[in-house]
Amino acid sequence: MRADNEMCIQRVRIVFTFFAKNPRQVKGNPFLTDNSQLNLWPASLRGFSQRLTKRLERIAAAMELLLTAHSDWVITGKNDRIIMETETWDFTEILNILEQQGFRAEEFAITVEYTRKWGVL
Amino acid sequence: MSNQVVAKTTIPTGGWSDLWKKEDWWAVWLGLGIVFAAIVAWIFGSSIKSIAISVPAWTHFSEAIVYLQSKIGNFLLLYIAFLLVFSLALKILGYKLKEFIPGFSVIFILGTAVSIFGAWNWAKKYNLEAPLVALFLGIIISNVLPVPKWLDTALRTEFYVKTGIVLLGATLPFTLILQAGPVAFSAASVVAVTTFLTIYWTATRVFKLDKRFAATLGAGGSICGVSASIAIGGSVKAEKQQVSVAISIVILWAVVMVFLLPAIIKAWGIPAGPGGAWIGTSEFADAAGMAAASSLNEQAIKIFTLMKVVGRDMFVGLWCFIMALISITKWERIDGSTKPDKKEIWYRFPKFVLGFFLASAVITILVAFADTSTAKAITAKIINPIKELRTWAFIFTFLSIGLTTRLKELTSVGWKPFAAFTTGVAVNVILGYIVSVVVLGQYWVTIK
Repeated sequence: MRADNEMCIQRVRIVFTFFAKNPRQVKGNPFLTDNSQLNLWPASLRGFSQRLTKRLERIAAAMELLLTAHSDWVITGKNDRIIMETETWDFTEILNILEQQGFRAEEFAITVEYTRKWGVL
Repeated sequence: MSNQVVAKTTIPTGGWSDLWKKEDWWAVWLGLGIVFAAIVAWIFGSSIKSIAISVPAWTHFSEAIVYLQSKIGNFLLLYIAFLLVFSLALKILGYKLKEFIPGFSVIFILGTAVSIFGAWNWAKKYNLEAPLVALFLGIIISNVLPVPKWLDTALRTEFYVKTGIVLLGATLPFTLILQAGPVAFSAASVVAVTTFLTIYWTATRVFKLDKRFAATLGAGGSICGVSASIAIGGSVKAEKQQVSVAISIVILWAVVMVFLLPAIIKAWGIPAGPGGAWIGTSEFADAAGMAAASSLNEQAIKIFTLMKVVGRDMFVGLWCFIMALISITKWERIDGSTKPDKKEIWYRFPKFVLGFFLASAVITILVAFADTSTAKAITAKIINPIKELRTWAFIFTFLSIGLTTRLKELTSVGWKPFAAFTTGVAVNVILGYIVSVVVLGQYWVTIK
């Protein structure tokens, strides 16, 4: 098939959550694991702060990497996550670049959605 | 907190804004809007009949000219009505009206010409029904003449067909959907699962194609055509080119089937009911199937819709969820993959189906509480005009299919995926015939 003969638009959505949904997925830092570990002691609160800082720093680094490599993004900030969306960069290339720069699978979630390119069947 | 940084062409999606940002939802709003407008007009002693034009049969060209002259005002009203509702939707969807308006005007003029041609007794004698003529005319134009880019905005095949299907709901008693829906679902599921497995097995075992590619091809050939290919393609994270190839093959076979299935049905003398059911199990896309069923009769349209929309389309979300689960747990892991969320079933659900059900339920309730004479008035002033508007929406659909079918672009797909898909087509058509015509033929004859 000719490379320019595309029949669909690919939308990639990368989600960086601030907290791990499933702590068992986490292999040590930098992911924040479990709020219940705080135990309401000042020291654990500082530990929480450090882990959160590390996690947010990690997300910022991933964002910088993606923004440097590609300019067409919509970035949405929610209470507990950052969502980056693009329709102009292939998801396999995004995965490659994140992997090459040392970002592990559990640090982000990626979803792919296709739509028709023009009003076909 | 909800903060957004927007750059260049990509626009954000998701959440409540889908209600006005997705074509699927707009088909619901427009379809139901027309149904409610018809009801309100009837309540106030009027009717939308003046814009619901049906060209009567004619023999001599002069008869057609006289009819056209006498109804020119009605044609103009119909054009304005469709232009207004479609423009509203497309403007909010982000399309340029300066491209859509001239484009839709061309589609409307071609649609009018096709409707007049389809009413010609000579054309009827040679089975040149309006849907097939519209499709054929579109294919000829798009493959022979240079089609201007601005016309593309008006070629909204999916949008027109979904709006038409919501309107179709208003002409179909809800009791019929409840009665025949489970039969349609069972029959369609047998054919769909067998076809999916055939394509998947042939693609992976015989042609050694990637599993995700095979699933995308299988979905296109078994569930609901292009819609299924793009939904499953996203769920299993198939590559963009793989999805494009699947779409091309689906369109190619869908267009072949538009002509082939009705021709066989007519040649073999299969009644319209089982014929519509066969098209419902064995056509690959809603719009193409509607064109094929429309070339038979009203009964075929109804049963095709039950089979395709109720039996197959509705369950695309469930298929996506299952395939995504298999993709994550059984196939090789892709970095960044997460366990699929059950919300995906709703997210992928074709929302126009809700409009179809709702339109059917509203009219059925209205008729159920009416006495005999009121029920007759509802049929004459609400249901019949909606039926005519639905026919127009389908004519726009068929023209759009033809005008977007650029054969040169569809044929460069590689022989392996084509061969795998074609194996599925063979199984699908034969099994669809056995299930719809041989096994359930007598049942479908009784559904009117």
